[in-house]
Amino acid sequence: MSVSTTTAIVPPGLVIAQPLPDLMQPVKIRHGLLGFLRNNPTVAIGAALLLCLVLIGIFAPYLWTVDPTALAPAKRTRPPSADFWFGTDALGRDVYSRVLYGTRVSLTVGLSVALLATLVGLAIGLVSGFVRWADSIVMRIMDGLMSIPPILLAVALMALTRGSVGNVIMAITVAEIPRVSRLVRGVVLSLREQAYVDAAVASGTRTPMIILRHILPNTLAPMLVQATYVCASAMIVESILSFIGAGTPPTIPSWGNIMAEGRALWQVKPYIVFFPAAFLSLTVLAVNLVGDGLRDALDPRMAKSL
Amino acid sequence: MGSYILRRVLVTIPVMAIVALFVFSLLYIAPGDPAAVIAGDQASPADVERIRQSLGLDRPFLIQFGSWLWKILHLDLGTSIFTNLPVASMIAQRIEPTLSLMALTLVLTILIAVPLGVIAAWKAGSWIDRVIMAFAVSAFSLPVFVVGYILAYVFALELEWFPVQGYTPFATGFWPWLQNLILPSIALGCVYIALIARITRASMLEVLQQDYIRTGRAKGLGQPSILFVHALKNAAVPIVTVIGIGVALLIGGAVVTESVFAIPGLGRLTVDAILRRDYPVIQGVVLMFSFLYTLVNLMVDVTYTLIDPRIRY
Amino acid sequence: MDRRTVLKGLAGAGSLAATGGLSMPALSQGAAARTLRFVPQADLANFDPIWGTQYVVRNAAALVWDTLYGIDDKLQPQRQMVEAEEVSADGLTWTFRLRPGLKFHDGEPVLAKDVVASLARWSVRDSMGQMIKATQNELVAVDDRTFKWVLKEPYPKMLLALGKNNTPCCFIMPERIAQTDPFKQIGEYVGSGPLKFVKSEWVPGAKSVFEKFADYVPRQEKASWLAGGKQMLVDRIEWVVIPDPATAAAALQNGEIDWWENPLPDLVPVLKKNRNVGVDIADPLGNIGVFRMNHLHPPFNDVRARRAVLAAMSQEDYMRALVGDDNALWKPLPGYFTPNTPLYSEEGGEILKGKRDFDAAKKLLAESGYTNQPVSCIVAQDQPITKAQGDVTADLLKRMGMNVDFVATDWGTVGSRRASKAPAGQGGWEMFHTWHAGADCLSPAGYNGIRGNGDKAWWGWPTSPKVEAEVSAWFAAKNLDEEKAAIGRLNKAAFEDAIYAPTGFFLSYTAWRKNVSGIVKGPLPFFWGVSKTA
Repeated sequence: MSVSTTTAIVPPGLVIAQPLPDLMQPVKIRHGLLGFLRNNPTVAIGAALLLCLVLIGIFAPYLWTVDPTALAPAKRTRPPSADFWFGTDALGRDVYSRVLYGTRVSLTVGLSVALLATLVGLAIGLVSGFVRWADSIVMRIMDGLMSIPPILLAVALMALTRGSVGNVIMAITVAEIPRVSRLVRGVVLSLREQAYVDAAVASGTRTPMIILRHILPNTLAPMLVQATYVCASAMIVESILSFIGAGTPPTIPSWGNIMAEGRALWQVKPYIVFFPAAFLSLTVLAVNLVGDGLRDALDPRMAKSL
Repeated sequence: MGSYILRRVLVTIPVMAIVALFVFSLLYIAPGDPAAVIAGDQASPADVERIRQSLGLDRPFLIQFGSWLWKILHLDLGTSIFTNLPVASMIAQRIEPTLSLMALTLVLTILIAVPLGVIAAWKAGSWIDRVIMAFAVSAFSLPVFVVGYILAYVFALELEWFPVQGYTPFATGFWPWLQNLILPSIALGCVYIALIARITRASMLEVLQQDYIRTGRAKGLGQPSILFVHALKNAAVPIVTVIGIGVALLIGGAVVTESVFAIPGLGRLTVDAILRRDYPVIQGVVLMFSFLYTLVNLMVDVTYTLIDPRIRY
Repeated sequence: MDRRTVLKGLAGAGSLAATGGLSMPALSQGAAARTLRFVPQADLANFDPIWGTQYVVRNAAALVWDTLYGIDDKLQPQRQMVEAEEVSADGLTWTFRLRPGLKFHDGEPVLAKDVVASLARWSVRDSMGQMIKATQNELVAVDDRTFKWVLKEPYPKMLLALGKNNTPCCFIMPERIAQTDPFKQIGEYVGSGPLKFVKSEWVPGAKSVFEKFADYVPRQEKASWLAGGKQMLVDRIEWVVIPDPATAAAALQNGEIDWWENPLPDLVPVLKKNRNVGVDIADPLGNIGVFRMNHLHPPFNDVRARRAVLAAMSQEDYMRALVGDDNALWKPLPGYFTPNTPLYSEEGGEILKGKRDFDAAKKLLAESGYTNQPVSCIVAQDQPITKAQGDVTADLLKRMGMNVDFVATDWGTVGSRRASKAPAGQGGWEMFHTWHAGADCLSPAGYNGIRGNGDKAWWGWPTSPKVEAEVSAWFAAKNLDEEKAAIGRLNKAAFEDAIYAPTGFFLSYTAWRKNVSGIVKGPLPFFWGVSKTA
């Protein structure tokens, strides 16, 4: 019987399958950072947005702002106008200036927590995932750490010293470390079953070397992405801490405490909550876009571990 | 498996003890004591001191910790400094609303997010994918209380579809119970839905490229079967991880949701106790949380082995 | 048809619309009309009015326990549980007879021995009670309905002490409960008041339930504050704690609650616009904002520094921060006593009047020896009133040229720090903020904040012999004119020594649904005479 692909007779009842999504689209070879960005528009958009916000934070004093802590109770809760672009809050402070200066605090909190939590979580997760006997002990300690409510830590730190950005960062970091370490551990658990790890063990490589040379590079990409998520989450947790009253003091405006102070009024003066919320959303959006884009770009295979 | 579970449970006990000690020490060194709050504004310093003494707060650290530990070993969580009620009964009163809220949120989230993620992965690159992911990212961007306020304003105040606040026990009736919890669950679940949808999509994307999927398709399996039975199961490890971790997120968000919607749950109990320095309640709640997390993480780890037979402990 | 009705109709599914709105499906319409849902100013975390002296505890206690006397809306003590009293010619022996038929919630009759035990417990904690106890010869029950209090010196203000509404009030409890140590909490909540406390339904932090006590015998006179006949026109009162003001406002508009004790002033315009909600001033006696300085340590140990603050501060700023844009809610207060009361005085208050003089303030500050050392302003973030005042103070001191260190913390920390007499660097403090209810500032009786007796004074420990002399003069005064003269001099002395800085006089609103009637203005929410139609 001749085999002819063009005129194959289709037996009755056979359903022709849909083509699978072709994720391996041919990509135009582009070089350098700019090329990378053009190939991955999500990362580009996110990074551009983030850069804008960072610049706003850095150059806040030059962007037609006034002293964000200057009170003027006689001019409280004015709606947005030519004098006060975003209106004034319950104590008469200019919301526009507070939001712009708040960019600094919120970004600082987000980035610091992301950095600290990923570094520490990475270290813990690597050790725990790979060294079997350490796994249970370390993970149980992480469980313990998770059960301390970050609010308790934040209030205790605040009571011990004072409300400050440092305390907020510490409280949130302690809460995020178990999360990150769990995820890393999950990745490592799968990775250590790989053939090349077996080979390394068989050829006599010492454990620290295996971790550093074989496991760690494969966790870096997911960790980078994870860091962006931690950053976004930290900014939101900061606003929740301000909601409770354990966030940064009002003399250090952050989007969280602007929203927290204005939340009771939001039915009548929604702009006090709206503007910081919009900025927060944009920032979180930007960070998430960067994270998603990076994940899609760096290695489609590592998507599994997130 | 049995011995693994047993070992896990046994290790929990010293961990809980260490957490308890840590929290106790933290509270001890942190300034602020309930005697001042109780005595109120009009009390004299002598009065405050008398109250502090009668509460036993002036005893040395080890004695206070020792006596609390002794009570715990007798399964007595102590008595609240403020309400004079047993801590265990205070927790028992408030546990149902929080558990209901979290359970409903979890169910809603999984029912919505996992299919969304699967569909986004299936149609990766298309407009459906982009829309779903845009929604997921934006839902993650707003703090819980902002979402809560908007929902309350639109659906409770303006449309009057649901009550604005309060909690009705399940025993009173399913529909009233659900009515009070729908808006808070959606507010709380938004972030969670976004997270799970994205993880599901990412994980499914990787799995869908595998050879065995191609084989399944060639064998003639239908799309739903491929997606939900074969692919999802293999993609499940990170999804389950995130669900487990998300329980922690939920408890944090529950505090805010309970404040906004006036639900008498554990979240608010914790915050009120912390701000008032009601030490027995704080310690009781933290102990309970640590037990809860241990349980949840144990379940997650056991589920790993069920899903991915390569994972061994 | 307005938008809301159309939308409601669309919402359609009969079950949704029919059961939506009210979260009380178990009660029928009739039962709902007999239940009053009230949102209190704070959570009822504990329920011993002698042990815990917060206002909210007193407000709840007034429902469950009755008093021997009660002040009326003219601030005069009237008989409540007492039928008749007699004071001996030398003013040393007070004999009281109780009304017949008074019962406790457990069915036991109210006997004189219960009163004696209650008075003994109360007089340990209350300042006027302590004064009486200090001159006490004996306090004893003569028979089941009569008791007497024999003193070594006359105490003309006895009835005021027994009937005042300042905490702790003289509530009458059964003997077995009243024998609890006054520094420990009681465990049972049994009283002889018009309502019973339903402990089984109490969810601390969320809900407190009170039920009408069928055997309560109200007096014949018309009810007036804590005096007169306390008629209960509803069967059941639920105190619902709603921590978020926006949610409480929505709940009131929705009909999920009936009466909100303390609506946020900024939300009141929304409530006023709603056809179903009534809003009015809650308490004509209002509140006095307090900026308290520590007289023991620099910088405020020098009177010139304190007066510098008085010269520079703007009461309008403080008050606007507290009550917002509504001018009906605040008044400047160049005095230390409650406005619109007999003893109000403005003597010595010129320093608070007129344009604010920062130059004079800076000069005074320099004279007091302040040389730019850091001053910590400790502000509790979880209490809106103290937080707002703290923010304004930090700004004020900065503009006065002081080196301000803003310390954000919580009320628990402030409460314990202010008890410390150490310097600020060692766990002490330089200033804190609070407020006094106007009802507590009517006269030196019970007004701890005005006293200048050094170590024994209130937080801040001011020492002012002039103020103390006038306080004694007031206690010894024989008639209103003498009292006014003494208060005038007291006010002046208090300003000269700058006991504390009053930040202004402010009022608050209360809001209720229009199907509730009988709510009166007063220093605490009064539930007798309040009724509700369906």
